[in-house]
Amino acid sequence: MKRTHLILIVLIATAIGVIISTVGDSSSYETFEVARENPDEEYHVVGTLSRPESMMYNPEVDANLFTFYLKDGKGEEHEVVYYGTKPQDFERSEQVVIVGKMEGERFNAQKILTKCPSKYTEDTVEVKEHVATPQPQN
Amino acid sequence: MDVQYIGENLLPGKLGHAFVILSFIASLFAFIAYSFSSAKVENQELSWKRLGRIAFWIHGLSVIGIVVTLFFIIYFHYYEYFYAWSHASRALPTHYIVSAFWEGQEGSFLLWTFWHIVIGLVLMYSAKNWEAPVMAVVSLAQVALSSMLIGVYVLEYKIGSSPFILLREAMEAPIFAQANYLEFITDGNGLNPLLQNPWMVIHPPVLFLGFASTIVPFAFALAGLYKRDYSGWITPALPWTLFGVMILGTGIIMGGAWAYESLNFGGYWAWDPVENASLVPWLTMIGAVHVMNAYKRTGNSLPTTFILVIVTFILILYATFLTRSGVLGDSSVHSFTDLGMSGQLLVFLGIFVILGVYFLVKRWKEFPRKSEEESTYSREFWLFIGSLVLMLSAFQVLATTSIPVFNKIFGTNVAPPADPIGHYNQWQLPMAILILVLTTIGQLLKYKKSSPAEFYKRLMWPFIAAVGLTLAVFIPYEIYAGPYIALIFASAFALFGNLEMMRTQFKKIKTAGAAVAHIGFALMMLGVLISSARKEVVSINQSGYSYGENFDEKANRENVLLWKDEPLEMNDYRVTYVGDSVAEPNHYYKVFYEKLNADRTVAYSFMLTPNAQINPKMGLIASPDTKHYLGHDLYTHVTQVIDKSTVKDQPAYKDPKAYTFKVNQADTVMLADNLLILEGLNTNLSAEMAEKTAGAEIAVSARLKVKTLQGDRMLEPVYAIKNGTEFRYDATDEALQVSFQKIDPKSGTIQLLIAEKNPGPKEYVIMKAIKFPMINLLWLGTVVLVIGFSMAVMDRYREAKRIESRATA
Repeated sequence: MKRTHLILIVLIATAIGVIISTVGDSSSYETFEVARENPDEEYHVVGTLSRPESMMYNPEVDANLFTFYLKDGKGEEHEVVYYGTKPQDFERSEQVVIVGKMEGERFNAQKILTKCPSKYTEDTVEVKEHVATPQPQN
Repeated sequence: MDVQYIGENLLPGKLGHAFVILSFIASLFAFIAYSFSSAKVENQELSWKRLGRIAFWIHGLSVIGIVVTLFFIIYFHYYEYFYAWSHASRALPTHYIVSAFWEGQEGSFLLWTFWHIVIGLVLMYSAKNWEAPVMAVVSLAQVALSSMLIGVYVLEYKIGSSPFILLREAMEAPIFAQANYLEFITDGNGLNPLLQNPWMVIHPPVLFLGFASTIVPFAFALAGLYKRDYSGWITPALPWTLFGVMILGTGIIMGGAWAYESLNFGGYWAWDPVENASLVPWLTMIGAVHVMNAYKRTGNSLPTTFILVIVTFILILYATFLTRSGVLGDSSVHSFTDLGMSGQLLVFLGIFVILGVYFLVKRWKEFPRKSEEESTYSREFWLFIGSLVLMLSAFQVLATTSIPVFNKIFGTNVAPPADPIGHYNQWQLPMAILILVLTTIGQLLKYKKSSPAEFYKRLMWPFIAAVGLTLAVFIPYEIYAGPYIALIFASAFALFGNLEMMRTQFKKIKTAGAAVAHIGFALMMLGVLISSARKEVVSINQSGYSYGENFDEKANRENVLLWKDEPLEMNDYRVTYVGDSVAEPNHYYKVFYEKLNADRTVAYSFMLTPNAQINPKMGLIASPDTKHYLGHDLYTHVTQVIDKSTVKDQPAYKDPKAYTFKVNQADTVMLADNLLILEGLNTNLSAEMAEKTAGAEIAVSARLKVKTLQGDRMLEPVYAIKNGTEFRYDATDEALQVSFQKIDPKSGTIQLLIAEKNPGPKEYVIMKAIKFPMINLLWLGTVVLVIGFSMAVMDRYREAKRIESRATA
């Protein structure tokens, strides 16, 4: 076998590896139902803020804890825990994407993406990303 | 019936639009003329070429006309134009007017077009025999870019988006039914505050120059394929390719510096799709530079060279498609405007893909090939391998970044990795190690064939020095993870290997560009590794505060709440929030840092003033402030602040309380912040009070001494009876309001109503502080990299000149 062929094989193998890892590491947009059934998997859950009155953020007590309720597309509602500061414009967001996994009845969000009507891009919405304080892996 | 609008200045818009149309037609004409010139033989060739030149000049001048007109509209606040209204405002300082110019999509296309023109004009007078086919390709790109600005409808399909449309054409609102609507539009919408940063004045033009320069190697490669001159194009294209790598790299790093200096994601790189989109073509272009060199010297790797050069330009177009079509949607923090031109962008992408693939396939069989394989102990072999690694690295970034595109094509609903940094690093870290090691191997080998013994001998001392440096870095910085140590070693090996190369090139230092650039890259990687592996969150509350049982004790709590004037110890720092100041639209939060020694004495202190804009439309926009030291940076930004506008108005004073004082006893009352002593009654009133109480039966004041930590002050409320009616003149100062209620002569007491000032809500700020060690290595490496590339550009340019003069001689 010529060396060129060997190189080609390694090249193709690595490329396949890249594709497999992209598929493997990718998450998916799901509902709470799916997240509940697979508590170890990380999902993107899209929903809207529900029960705004029970949104809790008391920086005087803990500046790194924010909880709220989110209702997903199918109407299922869960409490979401986010270890970070409350995004300043959170109440106004039209849509919220949370990234993380279910822990019992609560959803532990690593990341919150909010979509707000934007002033600066008239015909689109502003996407903002908020990343939680990293939690130690158990 | 049409409304006759008052006060509109329509001339600039009409002029601008005329320039747009002219620039499009002229570029089309230039493309046709240059194409004919490429295809025709001998005598007719020159006249077509002359026409092409004229057309390209007209195109260039009209684009400059567009730029000047648009700038005029923005600079002089013609808010009847949508572009000026949506991107600028009167309060905007001049240098940010420039940013407003390219904030919008049309402006950034204009910037790109402008750079193509500058490059095109240089090529016109320097490309000699290559002028016609190369300029045909450049002109075709200009046709595509100019059409993005036309803004006309053809069969209900919108072609381009004009920067000269009027506000009333762009939006529908009842106000536009009024002829004098402009009287109500006094100011523009303003520039996105995140972009109001010096880096954003310089970053876009540099980045777009990088984008624009990728067309040169692409055009030369197509010209080479077309003319069947498979090697001649490389010499003139090489300095341009090096230039492109240098400028695009600078632009990307500037974007990182902007993110580090003014965004709050805590770093300079986040694997965001927009960053990735420009990183990918940069990687393939670096690969292209290396195989171009290999082919030039040895005749190897020609197909790879063509593929990488063509792919680079296509990836630039793909990057534009990704960031401008709205396809990234919610996978990026950057906000995107979809002007409904995704279709048009796809058509351009398609045209250039077809063009590239067509010529590659058509000529593939004709490529000169070598029958024997290159030696393993040759530079060209490792240049080739290095380019393949770069290609794979680019492919990995591209694959993940394109997930939203796959979703569109296949109708799937896959989300990007939940942990993007971990995902990218698992691939990019080993690739970086490989590339760093390859820089030394490739450099220390000679072209054609080196003797293995000599090679290993040259490798000796860089290897030993690298082991030494690795130990000197990972032990003190306590970086104990295997892959990180490997990357430290690889960087050190690249550093010393290329220093060794420089040593041997010392007499011909002008040719040492590659070695210098590689040294810069090694330093950058070292800086990236140390600053991210040993990045340390300083803002962790260590006061032993209990968070309740619900919370994991191990949890890192990276945000810390600081009460005003209450120092808090975090790591080796004592930090105090001392107050804020406002210079609209920025709110500055003064945070005082004291670095503590082991015995808790203060080593040194400094003030950081991170700022935030509390924007009614966008919420909190926090920008960090960073203290730079040679060995580390301390970076701080606020994550939550009290929005004073939402704090409910409280009454200025608390409810007053009645106190009874015994006269002549220096009676004392303790208040919250003050001590009040009655010194006695006084009938000898001040002139002002005497006038007010003139003719009264009784007029007396209570002499009150207010003792505070800051010193004593006096208050004298007055009580008077005039014609049987009581009058009270209250005494007020910054903390108290005292009313003299009544005198009771029988018990020898008086009664005072005292109201204390409401202190208002206690102020605080929530912030995050991060220490980045050795981040200066990254910036130093960048500078060295750019110097190395400039040296290489000059060297290759001189070489191309030499070859050209030899050919004409």
